[in-house]
Amino acid sequence: MTFWGALLQNGAYQAVANTLFKSQRRQFWILASLPLFWIFFANLGPIVEMFWIGFLDSYPPKVGHEPQFTLANWAAFFQDRVFIIPFFRTLAFSFIFTAITLLITYPVAYFLAKHVSRKNQLLFLLLLLIPFWVGEIVRTYAIMILLGNNGAVNLALKSLGLIDRPIPFMYTGFSLGVGIIYLTALYMLLPLYSALEKLPDNYLEAAADLGAGAWTRFRRITLPLSKEGIASGCTLVFLISTGYYATPVLLGGPRSTVFAETIAGFFHVAGD
Amino acid sequence: MTRNTRILMSVIYWAFIVYLFVPLALMVTMGFKDSKFIGFPIRSWTLDWYAAVIQDTQVLSVFGYSMTIAIATTILSLIIGTWVAVFLGPNQFRGKAIIFALACLPAVIPGIISAIALRIFARLIDIEPGMFAIILGHTVHNVPFVALVVMARLSTQPKSHIEAARDLGADSIVAFFRVTLPYLKPALIGAGIFCMLLSFDDFVRAFFLGGYQPTLPVLIFAKLRSGMSPEINAISTIVLIMTAILGLWAERSMRRLNKGS
Amino acid sequence: MTKFITNRRQFIKSSAAGAALVAAPAYLRSTAARASGVVNVWTYANFIPDDFKAEFEKDTGIEIQIRLVDDQGKQFNLLAAEAPNPTADIVTVAGHRFLQFISSDLLAPLDTDRLKNWGNINPIYSESDWATINGNKWGAPILSGAEILAYNTEVVSEDEVKSWDVLFSDKYSGQTAYTIQDMMSVVMLYKGYDGNMVAYMDDPEKAAAVVAEARDFLIEKKPLVRKYYDAGAEVQQMFINQDIVLAHAWNGPIAKLITDGFPVDMTIPKEGTYGFVYTLNVANNAPNSDNAYALLDALLANPEVGAKMTQSSGFISTYKGADQYLSDIEKKASSFTEEELAGLQFFRAEANDMKYKLIDPAVEQIKAA
Repeated sequence: MTFWGALLQNGAYQAVANTLFKSQRRQFWILASLPLFWIFFANLGPIVEMFWIGFLDSYPPKVGHEPQFTLANWAAFFQDRVFIIPFFRTLAFSFIFTAITLLITYPVAYFLAKHVSRKNQLLFLLLLLIPFWVGEIVRTYAIMILLGNNGAVNLALKSLGLIDRPIPFMYTGFSLGVGIIYLTALYMLLPLYSALEKLPDNYLEAAADLGAGAWTRFRRITLPLSKEGIASGCTLVFLISTGYYATPVLLGGPRSTVFAETIAGFFHVAGD
Repeated sequence: MTRNTRILMSVIYWAFIVYLFVPLALMVTMGFKDSKFIGFPIRSWTLDWYAAVIQDTQVLSVFGYSMTIAIATTILSLIIGTWVAVFLGPNQFRGKAIIFALACLPAVIPGIISAIALRIFARLIDIEPGMFAIILGHTVHNVPFVALVVMARLSTQPKSHIEAARDLGADSIVAFFRVTLPYLKPALIGAGIFCMLLSFDDFVRAFFLGGYQPTLPVLIFAKLRSGMSPEINAISTIVLIMTAILGLWAERSMRRLNKGS
Repeated sequence: MTKFITNRRQFIKSSAAGAALVAAPAYLRSTAARASGVVNVWTYANFIPDDFKAEFEKDTGIEIQIRLVDDQGKQFNLLAAEAPNPTADIVTVAGHRFLQFISSDLLAPLDTDRLKNWGNINPIYSESDWATINGNKWGAPILSGAEILAYNTEVVSEDEVKSWDVLFSDKYSGQTAYTIQDMMSVVMLYKGYDGNMVAYMDDPEKAAAVVAEARDFLIEKKPLVRKYYDAGAEVQQMFINQDIVLAHAWNGPIAKLITDGFPVDMTIPKEGTYGFVYTLNVANNAPNSDNAYALLDALLANPEVGAKMTQSSGFISTYKGADQYLSDIEKKASSFTEEELAGLQFFRAEANDMKYKLIDPAVEQIKAA
C-alpha cells in the first residue's frame, strides 16, 4: 500500500497521469496502443507477407528474375481441393477429443477441488503437471510402445490369459485419441480446477438440506458455476488440438490424415 | 455428495493418474534398455545411456537454452496477452470483433505456415535467426492463449471492485495494479504454465527461427532420425528431473518471497 | 529481386516505429554466420563425427557450426526463406531433391577441381550421369540408399518377398506399411512404367495416365495397409512393436534394425527399385565458400568418416574402402547381392517438375480417399 500510496501522492506521477488520462478518448488509445501494434505488426505482418508470396510466380526469389504477380498459385490451391476433407476431419476430431477430454477431466478436477484437502491440493496439482514436461514426440513414442501389438497393454493382457492374439490398438481413432488427450488434458484440467475451486461448499450443502439430489445439485449449481472454466478449457483444447502435427502423423491410421499434415505436404515435408 | 459418487470419483481420479504415468514410467524404463531401440522385449539392461547423457554437456546447455527461451516467452506473453485482454475485454468499439479475430489468428494458423512466414518476416525486419527470433515466434503463438484465459477471468470480476478503488482515489493504472491484477493471479499462473509448456515443447518454430544452437525439441527430432533410441528417453528423463528441481526451487523461493513481504 | 527487397526493407525499417523494439540489442544478435574462421553446415545428427570435428578445428582453425536438420522439405523451406543470403555454407541434399534446390537457385555448382580427395568417392556415385544436372556437378555424394522391401524373418519367408506383390497380398492384410510418396514411384516401376517419368517428358497425357493408374492402385489397396508412415524411426518402431511384418522402407533405418539384432531383413524385389544419394552441397552465395571446400575436402580424405556416417544412418557409404572400418554385421546390413543390384536404378531429377506436379496431388488424394 505504501508504494502505491506514495506513487499517487507523487507530484511528477500526478502530472504524467493527468496528461495521460485527460480524456476517455486518450485513455482508450493508450490502452489500445500495444495490443493494436502487436496485432498488426506481429500477427498480421508475417501472414500478409506470406499471402503476398502466394501471388508471386517464383518463390524463393531467383537472381535476375523479377517476380511477377500471378493468381496461379491460389487458383491451383482452391481448384485442387484435397485439403477440404482433412480440414473438416480435423475439426471433427478436435471437437470429439475436446468433448472426451472434458468428460474425463471434469471428475478429476472436481475430486481435486472438493475432496482433496486444501493443503494437499497444490501437491496433487504439481503431480498432475509432471508428465507434461516431457516432449510431445517422446510421449507419443511411449504411447506407441504402450499400445503396439507387442506393447505393454497387449503383453499384460496376454500374460493374464485374457487374449491369445494381440488387439490392434495402434493406428486407429482409439490410439489417436489416447495420444491427443494425453497431450491436452492439462489445458482442460487447470481452468476446470480453478473454476471448481472457487465454488462455495455451502451452496451445495444448502441445496442438499433443501432435499436436492446429487444430480440436481450438479445440474443446477456445480455445472452453471463452472461454466467459465468449461468454456475456456474447451477453447484451449480445441485450438491446441487442431494444431498438432507429429502426434496425428505418428498415431493415426491411413484414414485419419489431419489438416496440419496436408499443410506440411504442401511444404514438401517427407521425413527424408 | 453420496458415498458412491465419491468412490466413483476417486476411482476416476486414480485411473487418470495411471493413464498419465504409465507412458512416463515406460519412458524412464526404456532409458535402461541395452539396445539402440525402445520397445519390448527388454533382453538386457544398461546404465550406459543415462551415464552418457549426464556426462554430455550439450544436453545441459540445450536444456538451459530452451528454458531461457521458455521463461522469456512466458514473461513477454503474459504482459502482452494481459494487455490485449484488458483492452479487448471491457471496451466496446467499432471493429472489435475483427480485432479480436486478428488477435486470435496465430492460435489457429498451422505451425509450419506461421513459422516460415515469421522466418521471412524476421529477415525483412533484419532479425538474425537465433534466440530472439524464437522468443518472438513463441510469443506470437502464445499471446492469444494468455488473452483468452485472462479475458475469461476478467469477465467474472465484479465491477464494484474497480469502482471501489476509484472512489478511494486510485487512477486507472493504480486501480489495475492494486485490484485487477491480484484478481487475475490464478489465471496468470495457469496461462504462464501453458506458455512455458507450449514454448518448451515447440519444434517447428524453433527449427525455422533458430540459429546454430538447437533447442531441446530440435535436438530430439534430429536424434530421432537414426531411430527412437533409449538415449532420447534418457535425455527426456534427465530433463524432467532438472525441470522438477527447477520447479520446486521456484515454488520455494516464491513462498519465501510471499512470506517476506 | 535484390533491389526490390532492399527497398521494402528500408521502407519497413523507417516506417514501422516498432522495428526498434524488435530489432534486438546487439548482444542477442549473432553475426557469426559470416565470420572468417567459421563454416556453417546443415546436416543430420551424427553425420559429422565429433572427433573428426575436433581434429579439423585444431588443424585448420576453422570452427564447424552444425545446424541439425531432420527433413529435406524443412531444410528446403528454411534455405528458401533465407535466400539469397543464406546462413549456410554446406547443406545436405538428397539426390532426388536436387532439381528442387537447383531450380530455386539455392545451390552453387561444385567445382570438383578444388577437391583433391574427390577421387576417394566410388565413381559409381561421383561420375554417374544422374549427378550431372544442367551441365554441372552439384554435390559430393556421401551416402547411398535405396527403396527396399523389408520383412520380419520370423513371419515372412525369403521366397515370398521376390516381388512387390506381397506388399499388396491379402495374406498380410493389416500388417504392412509404406510411405506413399516413394511408393508412387515404386508402383509405377512395378507396373512396368518409368517411375522417374523421364520417358514421358514429351507426353504429358501419358504421364498423367501413369500417375493416375498408380494412384488408383494404391487407393484400391488402401484397406490392406496398416499405416502410411513418414519417417524411418516410425517403420523401425512398427517392426519392433510387431504392428507390421512387411514394409517398403529405406535401407538405412532397416540396416540399423538388423545390426541391433532384430529379426528383420531386406531385399530388392525382381521388379526393381530406385536408389538415391545424400550429398553435401555448397549453398549458393555461401558466406564462407572457401571454408566449405576445405571442410568437404577434409571429409572426403578419410574413409573412416564414411564408415561413421554409415554407422549412424545405416545407409551405404560412397567412400572407397569405407567398409574396412565396418563390422561383419554392419557390412551385411549395408550390402545387396548382385542379383538384387541388377534391379537397382537411381532416381533421376530431369522430369521432377512434371513428376511432382502430378504426384503431390495424387499423394494427398490417396491420403484423403
